[in-house]
Amino acid sequence: MDLYAVLSQILVGLSRTVILFIVSSGLSLILGVLRIPNVAHGSLYMIGAYAAYTISKYFGGQDTGFWVALFGAPLFVAFLSFIVERSVFQFLYEREHLMLVLLTFGFSLIFGDLVKLVWGGEYKTVPVPRIFQGYILLFEHLHLPIYNAFLIIIGPVVALLLWLFVNKTKMGKISRAAAVDREMVGAVGINVSWVFGVTFVIGCFLAGLGGMLVAPTISVTLGMDHSLIMESFLIVIIGGLGNIWGALLGALIFGLTQSLGILLWPQFGIVFPYAAVVLVLVFKPKGLLKSTW
Amino acid sequence: MREKGLLALIFVFFFVLFSPAFAQKTIKVGIVDTYTGPATTFTFDVRDAFDLVVKDVNKKGGVLGRKIEYTTRDEKFKPDVGLAMAKELLLKERVDILMGTINSATALAISDLAKKEKVPFFVTFAKSDKITGEKGHRYVFGMNENTEMAGRAAAYALSKMPYTKYWIAGDDYEYGHAIASAVWRHLKRLKPEVEKIGETWWKVGEADFTPYITQILAAKPDFIIVATGGAGMVNFQRAAKATGLASKIPFYQHTAIEHSVLSPQGLNAPEGVWGTCNYLFYYPDTKENREFVEEFRKAYNRYPKVGALYGYVTAKFIVEGFKKAKTIDKEKFIDAIEGMSVDSPVGKLELRKCDHQLVLPMYFGRTKKVGGWDFLIAGDLQTIPGKDYMPPCEEVLKLRK
Amino acid sequence: MGKKGLIPIAFLLLLLFPFFLPRFYVYLSSLILIHGLLATSLNFVLGFGGMYQFHHCVFYGVGGYTTALLLTKTSLSPFLAFLAAPFASAILSILMGVICVRLSKLYFGMLQISLGSLVWAIVYRWYSFTGGDDGIHGIPIPHLLASTNSAYYFTLVITALSMFAMYRMLVSPFGKTLQGIRDNPVRCEMIGVNVKLHQLLALIIAGFFAGVAGMLFVIVDTTVFPEMLFWTLSLEVLIMCLVGGWFTFFGPLLGAAILIILRTIISTYTVYWALVLGVIMTLIIFFLPNGILGYIEEKLKRG
Repeated sequence: MDLYAVLSQILVGLSRTVILFIVSSGLSLILGVLRIPNVAHGSLYMIGAYAAYTISKYFGGQDTGFWVALFGAPLFVAFLSFIVERSVFQFLYEREHLMLVLLTFGFSLIFGDLVKLVWGGEYKTVPVPRIFQGYILLFEHLHLPIYNAFLIIIGPVVALLLWLFVNKTKMGKISRAAAVDREMVGAVGINVSWVFGVTFVIGCFLAGLGGMLVAPTISVTLGMDHSLIMESFLIVIIGGLGNIWGALLGALIFGLTQSLGILLWPQFGIVFPYAAVVLVLVFKPKGLLKSTW
Repeated sequence: MREKGLLALIFVFFFVLFSPAFAQKTIKVGIVDTYTGPATTFTFDVRDAFDLVVKDVNKKGGVLGRKIEYTTRDEKFKPDVGLAMAKELLLKERVDILMGTINSATALAISDLAKKEKVPFFVTFAKSDKITGEKGHRYVFGMNENTEMAGRAAAYALSKMPYTKYWIAGDDYEYGHAIASAVWRHLKRLKPEVEKIGETWWKVGEADFTPYITQILAAKPDFIIVATGGAGMVNFQRAAKATGLASKIPFYQHTAIEHSVLSPQGLNAPEGVWGTCNYLFYYPDTKENREFVEEFRKAYNRYPKVGALYGYVTAKFIVEGFKKAKTIDKEKFIDAIEGMSVDSPVGKLELRKCDHQLVLPMYFGRTKKVGGWDFLIAGDLQTIPGKDYMPPCEEVLKLRK
Repeated sequence: MGKKGLIPIAFLLLLLFPFFLPRFYVYLSSLILIHGLLATSLNFVLGFGGMYQFHHCVFYGVGGYTTALLLTKTSLSPFLAFLAAPFASAILSILMGVICVRLSKLYFGMLQISLGSLVWAIVYRWYSFTGGDDGIHGIPIPHLLASTNSAYYFTLVITALSMFAMYRMLVSPFGKTLQGIRDNPVRCEMIGVNVKLHQLLALIIAGFFAGVAGMLFVIVDTTVFPEMLFWTLSLEVLIMCLVGGWFTFFGPLLGAAILIILRTIISTYTVYWALVLGVIMTLIIFFLPNGILGYIEEKLKRG
């Protein structure tokens, strides 16, 4: 195992981490504040990717398309989630968690089939904009595509913005308070339902953003929500429910064990992230960082 | 407790309501395939081309005075669901013929069922060479190429190229390993001086190939054999383009030149990727192919992909087989189609008597941009006829022992 | 006549199925019984034990693979291979249970999913031993059990015995304690009940019977594949419990019947089965949070 292999696996682990983090942070926000284990979160990620395809195609399929999609696709997902939240979820905040898991799973089934109805079964791709095409040569051998470098930069930016929202804005502070004691927040005259609604929509926006960002690197297909949602849940749990930095840490652990595990033992590479989760939960049953629960 | 009684009542109610089919005046075909998830890009074409032939035949009065009727079931890439549906089609719908599935595990499970129930089963996309190889039997038919065939065809073409230092990389699952090992085994046989300087495997569904590509570039092989399947095909090509691999080291992927892989990438697909496949809608440029493409486009407003050939040929064998057998007896039908040939968009195709594998020509070429298309197509094409690459009957039959 | 009197009648009716039902429905009934047993075993810890066993199918799959591997790779007596399945699953339950039982609710569930996914990954990737993603097919079953009807009878008898055993356990002092722990773990701890030990025992019992279900699947379908241990199947079994009613004993069996029958019917008409299932689930959770049988029982109680 040479140093280059390790180094390049780490770089890739990082760009994968970014996608995982963006999606999981949304999930974590919703879990932490609303207490909804939203299984349909993965579907929103998938819808984000498909929306990115449609928007980018509508605007010429090249650079303009990408930039419009970068904002348009997550906004579309946010809008969709707004409808779902106001029409269904807002009535269910007090339900048993297991019920919510299954209810949102029901929604993920519905979304999955709706995507099939709307977009059909063909693979879709979103082109990489011209300024992100090509690669950077690191240490003479490492070919890092510019788009991946862009992802690695955008991850911390999203983390910071999210942190600012939760800690510095009034809305964020209220939602944190509501996470701890929703009755108290309601008692001081704040409309908790709307606080929850906004938090939910922001969480879903992040799912859509994740889907949009991953789209230029892969082929957008049905079923892409499946593996991701499980990974996101595990990330949120090991990071500490509702903790944004926890989601980042969890995503790092997941992304890196995944890419380094393959170097260590190719045949059973997929075992490593799960093993990491087991280890964390055995020694830190409530996750690595402080949970809001 | 009362609930058990209630339960039994509900059972009875459903069973009475959905009692099995009555006497039939049709030939019934049951298709079990994955119509959910990423595989749909391949499976819809099988069904749609099959439908074209069936509609045409029925319009002309059917076969043996009977119309052909078919029904589909979505197995969702789950073998247990697929098997239960095959049983439903067989035992409840009383289909005469089973076909389908892109999922090798389901195909093998249904094949076992077909053997026990003595019903012909046409496999229309699953690539495992066990289907007509090790696990083959009288009632199963391979209508598409399998990993062994693809490997042999690629080895045949690659052995004529000047490269000697090879790298092997691929999706780390049964299909990836089977393709790679078949290519390598036969390449080594045909051209003993080739040398494997390294191997890389990644998990199925890997979205980011950069580290693997970096590793391969550093090793400087002459040529790379890339054994990816499904969405991995597109994902690898995108990464090969983004990292500059495609312009540095030539590589081969089975089905790299196929329309399912190239059309979603538009003009952004990498040029010069070598690949093999069984069907291209623009090659060979014969009357039969043009007519088929035109008919398919008229019906579905898209170009037929490789699955369309499999669906078309399967329908043809069912129709011609019953015509030749002159009866709807299944055993006589099997006797009739063993060794039979039918016309297809790519010429006459024979279903081998020895192992029930369809003999398909394989097209070998590389991707290129051509004015007038808004996607890449295959250029420098050569046709590898079945006789040059099909595994010999004795070898296949030896596996069954 | 008490409600209990209906059980023998239902059992007798089930015994008669092969005499008047076409073969496909006999096969379908076997599938329903197997999934019903699997769902009931899950509900043993979920509904009655209050533990979020999210990845229950691991034990089902391990049971199936144990039987399949023993039948294909050894010359052991087939009945020993059948017998080995539940014990293999129970041993796995001990290993996973010891690790998981320290946690509760969502944390328990996620840890259990991770551990289960480890097992799945090993089965999925260990080509030389488990057949990898292709699975194992055409498993030789003793001639006596090979026909649809005999497989059905075997499944029926074993399922009935297993259900009876689980029922006896639930009404025993152990079962009562288990339900007490579900309702108020803290109080149980205070009055000196060893909560973790009871929970672990329940997990082992549930795993054991899931293994029985896996073994039965091999007999009925003569095949195994890694999807049997994948988390999506676990979710489906959870849905069965919920749809039927997870606080009732026969609810999961009813749920399994409803889901399997619906799937069979709906797939005949459309490829959008997931959409239909999603809508049904949403409606049930909205309007019948205790499941169908839970709702019926409630109605009956109210008179």
